[in-house]
Amino acid sequence: MNERRPVAATLAVAGYIIMIVPILFVVATAFTGGETLKFPPEGFSLRWFGEALSYQPFMGSLVTSLEIAIISTVLALAVGVPVTLAIHRGALPGRGIVENLFLSPLIVPELVVGLALFQQLIVTFRIDNFPVLLIGHTALLLPYAVRVTGAALAGSDPSLEEAARGLGASPMRTFWTITMPLLRPGIFSAALLSFITSFNNVPLSLLLQSRETQTLPITMLDYVQQSYDPMVAAISTLILAATVVIAVIAERTVGFAKIFGGIGR
Amino acid sequence: MRSRFTTALLLLPGLAFLLVGFLVPALAMLLAPPGTDTADIFVRLGQMLTDPYDLAIIGRTLLIGLIVTVVCVGLGFPIAYLLARTPSRWSGVLLALAIFPLLLSNVVRTFGWLVVLGSNGAIGQLLTGLGLVDEAPQLLYTPLAIVLGLTQLFLPLAIVTCYSAVTQVDPGLDDAARGLGASRGRTFRDVVLPLSLPGIVVAATLVFAGSVTAYTTPYLLGGSGNRMLSTQLFTYSSVTIDWASASATAIIMTVLVFVVSGISSVVGRKGATA
Repeated sequence: MNERRPVAATLAVAGYIIMIVPILFVVATAFTGGETLKFPPEGFSLRWFGEALSYQPFMGSLVTSLEIAIISTVLALAVGVPVTLAIHRGALPGRGIVENLFLSPLIVPELVVGLALFQQLIVTFRIDNFPVLLIGHTALLLPYAVRVTGAALAGSDPSLEEAARGLGASPMRTFWTITMPLLRPGIFSAALLSFITSFNNVPLSLLLQSRETQTLPITMLDYVQQSYDPMVAAISTLILAATVVIAVIAERTVGFAKIFGGIGR
Repeated sequence: MRSRFTTALLLLPGLAFLLVGFLVPALAMLLAPPGTDTADIFVRLGQMLTDPYDLAIIGRTLLIGLIVTVVCVGLGFPIAYLLARTPSRWSGVLLALAIFPLLLSNVVRTFGWLVVLGSNGAIGQLLTGLGLVDEAPQLLYTPLAIVLGLTQLFLPLAIVTCYSAVTQVDPGLDDAARGLGASRGRTFRDVVLPLSLPGIVVAATLVFAGSVTAYTTPYLLGGSGNRMLSTQLFTYSSVTIDWASASATAIIMTVLVFVVSGISSVVGRKGATA
């Protein structure tokens, strides 16, 4: 394709370099035997992985990040899936308005949402940081939960449920044998996407943190600001490896493109 | 399922969450931050829109946002076009490579630029090693570094959005234009580009909104000399604890995003009917 469309091909190569090459440099410097973030790395060693894994602030905040990501994913699905059902299967006037209302956290900058929650819930109402972090992350994930599970339902025919009811199935039985199987891939995609979105989040966690509830990305930002050693490169490489595993799981189960097909719209 | 009562019951927990976790705090913030008068916010807002220091930050944020938008669409559309229109055994891998960064932490992705652009980084070492310069040039903590970092962050979003736009244009139309004697360039310009325009507008909006609100990149790559609205907002709310200024900055940021989204949805609708 390169000979036939030289301009487009050149731009594409530049784009891929900008997207991918910095990530490769992170991995390369993580394996250095030297003391500083330097390129080319001095020697080969796994010492910085050992240091990162035994550095308490990283490991402590990793646990916090996982707790927040798991709980807020479950919460977002627990309140989001019923909303999807109401929008796509319920007797709902103004369905479009309701759907947009649930997507609205996406259009307000996350830093602004973080500031709002900080001022109103932490400062004014004196709620602890951890519950507010959960509330904030869940509000952020709600649009993904509603939209991604909604995509699974929108593509299916409601007359399937009507047929089941007509044949004498109870509403509960109809839900578990017809609606739930239709929803399942959507719920799985939404869960993956929500977990990753929460785990990687910076703006909300930054504004809502306390010393005890710092998440891993924030701890890494702080660390980079203080010291210039390859420990952050090592923890970054581990995060990269975990992300690759999640991507492969996503590809093998629901398909990568399917999960992200809805993001851009 | 069909009754109004059940529907209301299904919506209730979600609505409660949305109110407590988003709508009420966001609205309350504009009216009364703790210990501050609403009037103070608007006084501060007025100052920011006239003070040269604050205006420079707003201007820098806008300019960087615009440059990143142009670069991301300029690189992202050709990539999406090639991926959609020249199927080869590599296109699946290349598409996956373009989507994958969306899953990866912004901190990890941005950190890479410290290794590339830092004073002991790859570019500096390469240039001095080749004897092209005596001393590594200052690349980190410059607007260029922010632009590169934000381009890396938002290019995948531009590609994915443009890709779904291009795949919706019937390839038969390309063939028809080519068959009628249009050159490859003309087919692209007069057929593919106008038909994918709504998608391009959406991509540009998403990239712009992301760039003017991103925090990690200006924080790590901009240093203290290249402040943007996002880093200012954090300083006001968590370092100097200046609620009025924090709220005013938040208003400016939100209005920027809303105005651009509004303009683009009008442009997108016109483009779709034209």
